[in-house]
Amino acid sequence: MNNIKLKINGRIYEVKVEKNYTLLYVLRDMLDITGPKEGCGTGDCGACKVLIDGQALNACTTLAVKCEGKEIITIEGIADGPNLHPIQESFVEKGAVQCGFCTPGMVISAKALLDQNPKPTRDEIKKALNNNLCRCTGYVKIVDAIEDAAQKMRGDNHE
Amino acid sequence: MSKDLRIIGGSQPIFDAYNKVTGKTCYTGDMKLKNMLYGKLVLSTKAHARVVSIDSSEAEKLEGVVAIATPFNTSNKKYNSALRFADHDIPQTETVFSEIVRFVGDRVCAVAAIDQKVADKAAKLIRVEYEELPAVLSVEEAIEEEAVQLHDNVNNRLNDIKNQVGDVEKGFAEADHIFEDEYRTPIVSPMALENHVSIADYDEQGKLTIYSSTQNAFAVRNIISAVFNLPQSKVRIVKPTLGGAFGSKIPAVLEGPAAALSMMTHRPVKIDLTRKENLIASRTRHGSIVRLKTGVMKDGTIVAQQYNVLTNTGAYVGSAYNVIGAMSHKVFKTYKIPNMLYVGTPVLTNLPIAGAMRGYGSPQAIFAQQRQLHAISVRLEIDIVTLQRKNLIRPEDVDLEKVGNPRPLDCMERGLELFDWSVKNKWKLNKKEENNSNLRQEHRDSGRNNKRGIGFAIGCHGNGVYGAHRDFVGLRLKLNDDGTMVFESGTHDMGNSLITSQMMILAEELGLEVEDIAVVESDTDLTPWNLGDYSSRGVFVTGAACIKLAGIMREKLLLLASAMLEEAEENLQLQEGKKIISASGKEVSFADLLLYSHRELQEDVMVSTSYGSQAGRTSFGAHFAQVEVDEEQGTVRLLDYVAVHDVGQAINRLSLEGQLEGGIQMGLGYALSEKMEFDEQGRLKNSNLKKYKMFKASMMPDIKLDFIEEGEVPGPFGGKSIGECATVPVAPAIVNAVADALGFDFHCMPHDAEGLLEIVGCES
Ligand code: FES
Ligand code: FES
Repeated sequence: MNNIKLKINGRIYEVKVEKNYTLLYVLRDMLDITGPKEGCGTGDCGACKVLIDGQALNACTTLAVKCEGKEIITIEGIADGPNLHPIQESFVEKGAVQCGFCTPGMVISAKALLDQNPKPTRDEIKKALNNNLCRCTGYVKIVDAIEDAAQKMRGDNHE
Repeated sequence: MSKDLRIIGGSQPIFDAYNKVTGKTCYTGDMKLKNMLYGKLVLSTKAHARVVSIDSSEAEKLEGVVAIATPFNTSNKKYNSALRFADHDIPQTETVFSEIVRFVGDRVCAVAAIDQKVADKAAKLIRVEYEELPAVLSVEEAIEEEAVQLHDNVNNRLNDIKNQVGDVEKGFAEADHIFEDEYRTPIVSPMALENHVSIADYDEQGKLTIYSSTQNAFAVRNIISAVFNLPQSKVRIVKPTLGGAFGSKIPAVLEGPAAALSMMTHRPVKIDLTRKENLIASRTRHGSIVRLKTGVMKDGTIVAQQYNVLTNTGAYVGSAYNVIGAMSHKVFKTYKIPNMLYVGTPVLTNLPIAGAMRGYGSPQAIFAQQRQLHAISVRLEIDIVTLQRKNLIRPEDVDLEKVGNPRPLDCMERGLELFDWSVKNKWKLNKKEENNSNLRQEHRDSGRNNKRGIGFAIGCHGNGVYGAHRDFVGLRLKLNDDGTMVFESGTHDMGNSLITSQMMILAEELGLEVEDIAVVESDTDLTPWNLGDYSSRGVFVTGAACIKLAGIMREKLLLLASAMLEEAEENLQLQEGKKIISASGKEVSFADLLLYSHRELQEDVMVSTSYGSQAGRTSFGAHFAQVEVDEEQGTVRLLDYVAVHDVGQAINRLSLEGQLEGGIQMGLGYALSEKMEFDEQGRLKNSNLKKYKMFKASMMPDIKLDFIEEGEVPGPFGGKSIGECATVPVAPAIVNAVADALGFDFHCMPHDAEGLLEIVGCES
């Protein structure tokens, strides 16, 4: 067992972990941070995505011990208190949420994309979602929502 | 239809979207009960074997292991996991754990431990000794005369389900041409992103509460109370938010094993399947062999059609009859064929259990129907549009009372426009035109090895189970002190906005805003009885029930207002803004009515009702696809896609579109990339999401959608279903387009055709 410190959503957590514990196990089972979901556990669906130093990564294939000293943001850390982040707001308004199981991972991937590329094309958005599976929406409204959020975040609503 | 609808037909985000985008929604897998144990199933590694012994001594030595449930210490009462109601008479072949395992993935035993890591480790330490039995891994093997039989109370070849109109033999005798084809569809996975998960909590007072990812809480209660011999007052099934279902969560899957462990330990036990386990140990879509014989006149009029269907229903009876029975109705809905016969036979094999999946039998049969019609058009050189127009059912041809308002033709005509079919198809029709080669270049062949093709298909699906058996729902509505309301619905929202649609209907009818309604969902101790959410009954049946419920509440409120305002009821009107006004200008709020009722009558304002479906109605959709096939690479790219659906009346436009787009993605996978592949031992070869290929965002084509809204009585506001119908026409539309591109007469999905094609990417 190793004692490690993880910085998650701005807060420091001390946890005792084995070397092979995934970040997803630590988040969900040990810390009750259940926003990130497990859809596959093999790095193929993206439901578990979190931001690690700004990059959208699968928590199910990331070892917790490798995350020390890094900035981890989960879906719980995206909104500003009760105020939704523009991405979340657009997901709601544009109908990008159905069962919602892929949503945390989708929002995280969208955040990582828009932080790096504020004006992505639809194809760039789709590409950024290629490690995120959704079984409900056919992705159409998710892509719409991210386009919409990008516009809002740039402040050019009339484009 | 009323013109001034305030809410209906608008776009309403799903009611729990805020919690879903913030990660606050608590799905079953997110729940942690006090003292909770974690379960792990031990699944069979053999396709067919007798369990001789289970040695758990090593597992028991592991610190943190609390209990091990096996077929030898758990109820072995047989049940059918797809039971719909207490007196549903279907063969019982399953048990909580199996002494004879019948597929790789069958439940042998389960362990409960203090955390998941220990449970997983313990499960690996359990040694199961098997005595292997011969296995049948295909429908053909299973129905051979000397084949090993899976069960002693039913044959591998289950009973035929028949349905007919007219005289099919007479029809064939009259036909100018007879076409006979055999079509095959693969076994695929519903693949809800949330795996199956159940938490059973058996307390000291003998009450068993199960939180479960289920679409069918009341039926699960029946099964659990029978298997464990508990009165229903001691069994409570609660459905937390579902992370998708698509039919796979209709049957009881994990409730039994979790309950067994919880009853042994008197502690809550959670069993949460991994993706791999879920693929084999939950439910699949029936693979099928559809033999289709069609008699056609020279002018393209279809005079007779016969379906002989075999489905691969896997190792237990489950929903074998439900699915093939549903299919037996669907094939009669789209065309005005005077003579038809349908014979469907489910077949048991030593493969994972097949069950319900979006479309419930329609995707298999309609694939054959639409593929053959396309082939007939090629063989007879009759334009496919002409052929469809000649045979499609029209509202003016049918008895409105019996059949309603079927609009497949309108869907097709609108789709032809949106897709620009005539332009895309022009080279074919004007072969002699000068610019033929240019058009051909532009619309057909984009490159040296690339061939373009266009195709379409028409699909249908039902609206509830009217005619098959009881189809009703109970609902309750309560007025709060401030005029807002609490709605208690046994509905299981799977992300498909059923609850949101119901809230919209109530709000529209009662002058409320959607936000004025709180919802209690599907809990066998709290909500009225519910049949389960399948067969696309959520809007057509439960939505119509909401209209009835709202009407009763309106009556009650008007009565109160009449007493309070001392005005005749006919002078009163319920208005937007939670109030009632009188012709003379008096006004009273719902809040004041409630206070009046409490103060003067000492009565709560609460109504409940039951609503039984009044009719069987059909939803239709026409889908169009343009594809480009790279023959050398063996890849298909999707260039254009159009879908038009007959929905009667849009209830929630946002979810209507979302359901359709999701249905298309699922159908694209069916046509081009998804298939569960088994080796000769019956083991799943592609047991993860790397190898089992769902469509990704970048593979999706641009999609144009439209809806035909011509009303369907008695649907709410004329509305009918979309959810399942959405996925039905996709695969035949795509395969017809691929067939057109290659000039090849496919009898299965292209990716299933001996490695002919493999999709690697799609243009958007
Ligand atoms: S759960 Fe991590 S990628 Fe699927
Ligand atoms: S909304 Fe259900 S998986 Fe994406």
